[in-house]
Amino acid sequence: MLRVRDLELGYGQELIIEGVNLEVAAGQFVSLVGPSGSGKTSILRAVNGLLIPRSGSVELSDGDAALGFLFQDDALLPWRTARENVALGLRIRKFSKDAALTEADGWLARLGLEGFGGRFPHQLSGGQRKRVAIAQILAIKPKLLLMDEPFASLDAIVRTRITQELLNWVEREHLSVLLVTHDLEEALTVSDRIYLLSQGPRARVLASYDVSIPRPRDIFATRKHPSFTPLLERLWNDLSDTMNSPEVEAQK
Amino acid sequence: MTTDIKKTGVRRFFSLFMLVIIWEVLSRAGIINPFYVPAPTAVLRVVFSLFSEGTIFSHLEATFFASLVGLAIGLVLGISLGFAAALISWVADVLEPIMLLLNAIPRVILAPLFVIWLGIEIPSKIALAVVLVAVLIFFAVYNGIKDVNQLLVDRVKTLGGGRMVLLREVYVPSVTAWVLGSLKIAVGFAFTGACVGEFVAATRGLGYLLQFAQSTYNAALTIGLIFLIMAFVLILFFCAEAIERRLLRWRYRGPSEKPA
Repeated sequence: MLRVRDLELGYGQELIIEGVNLEVAAGQFVSLVGPSGSGKTSILRAVNGLLIPRSGSVELSDGDAALGFLFQDDALLPWRTARENVALGLRIRKFSKDAALTEADGWLARLGLEGFGGRFPHQLSGGQRKRVAIAQILAIKPKLLLMDEPFASLDAIVRTRITQELLNWVEREHLSVLLVTHDLEEALTVSDRIYLLSQGPRARVLASYDVSIPRPRDIFATRKHPSFTPLLERLWNDLSDTMNSPEVEAQK
Repeated sequence: MTTDIKKTGVRRFFSLFMLVIIWEVLSRAGIINPFYVPAPTAVLRVVFSLFSEGTIFSHLEATFFASLVGLAIGLVLGISLGFAAALISWVADVLEPIMLLLNAIPRVILAPLFVIWLGIEIPSKIALAVVLVAVLIFFAVYNGIKDVNQLLVDRVKTLGGGRMVLLREVYVPSVTAWVLGSLKIAVGFAFTGACVGEFVAATRGLGYLLQFAQSTYNAALTIGLIFLIMAFVLILFFCAEAIERRLLRWRYRGPSEKPA
């Protein structure tokens, strides 16, 4: 589905990502974790074509059209209603206005927002805006979802609920996902594989971890699985070692 | 909430009303010299006679024509140049220093120059209103596009939108918000341009009438015209605000009930 080879990314003179290799197979849920400033978001932006790599390659088996990007910020157009925001991707894909809006209404209803289509983003709660953003992405029927800490700004209850709903959707539709998160528990709960990045600049993949907890997953049941805690401790220790390494100490 | 607004409105009206009453009493009692500060009733009489005799209408027509045409041309020019400068770097290199210079100076000092170039009739007044409005709107558009929310640009790009979609969905609505935010100020600027232009040299217009009143030491006419101009600018200001609220209803529509 996605293959990243020897990726190098930089801003100005600084190299932030160096020699990163990773893969996301069809239907696989992959997470990228690492210290702040390790360039996790930059990798997602490179996959989506928002950032041009210095070297290396990003190969997508289904092309750019199969990508959906869920941002940390819901990034809805404030001058468009919820249904117009959801319809935007469809309009870009040459749907007629009526067809796009009808389809958008369907997606809003599926995400529990029936009757909210006529509201502008500022008239919705944070959780509702996030659902609109999810509906906007799912409406274009992506095969690979790129998610950049999408639920970080939500309170714990809403966050858990939306994560479970999205997880159900991803499992049912066999979507591939590349998630960037700083939350190790979240990464373990939802992922099949986790890549750990080193401290930036010149961040690289330090290790990858396979999570063999069966699907479909329930967020709470997954956290009680026998392999969950040992893997979480391993991940935690490796991440702590990265942040306490002599190189990082020297940078502080 | 509504009661509070009503109470505030009543208080404001009452304080203004009291000010006028005190002014009237002091003027009639001769405590303030009516030659310099005539009583409000005297001012009203002069304003009323301007309308009843019909002398004001050709002046109003001239000022409104110059203001509104100047406003329209200034808006079109400011928006076009602002867009061009924000999207084409060499246009920005050429325009930015000129606009910064025009923005730094009190632009009304150009009025005599426009009279020399365009004569004492309406075109010189329109030109001054255009310069006042265009510079204001240019910076609103130019900064509006440069400060456009990059997240929205990325969002549209990741949905597959190209330049035209970006323009339609992000840049034009962002800029509309900036322009409409400046429209109220632009209306005042346009009226200022027309009146100052008429004040310098003209044969018609409220500015011309004001200049005539001042040269004949007619304080009642001067004060009456000042209030008249204030009233017209306020009317245009509220019209601009109504347009802003209508076109930016996504910003002004209040928060709805948010079910959990």
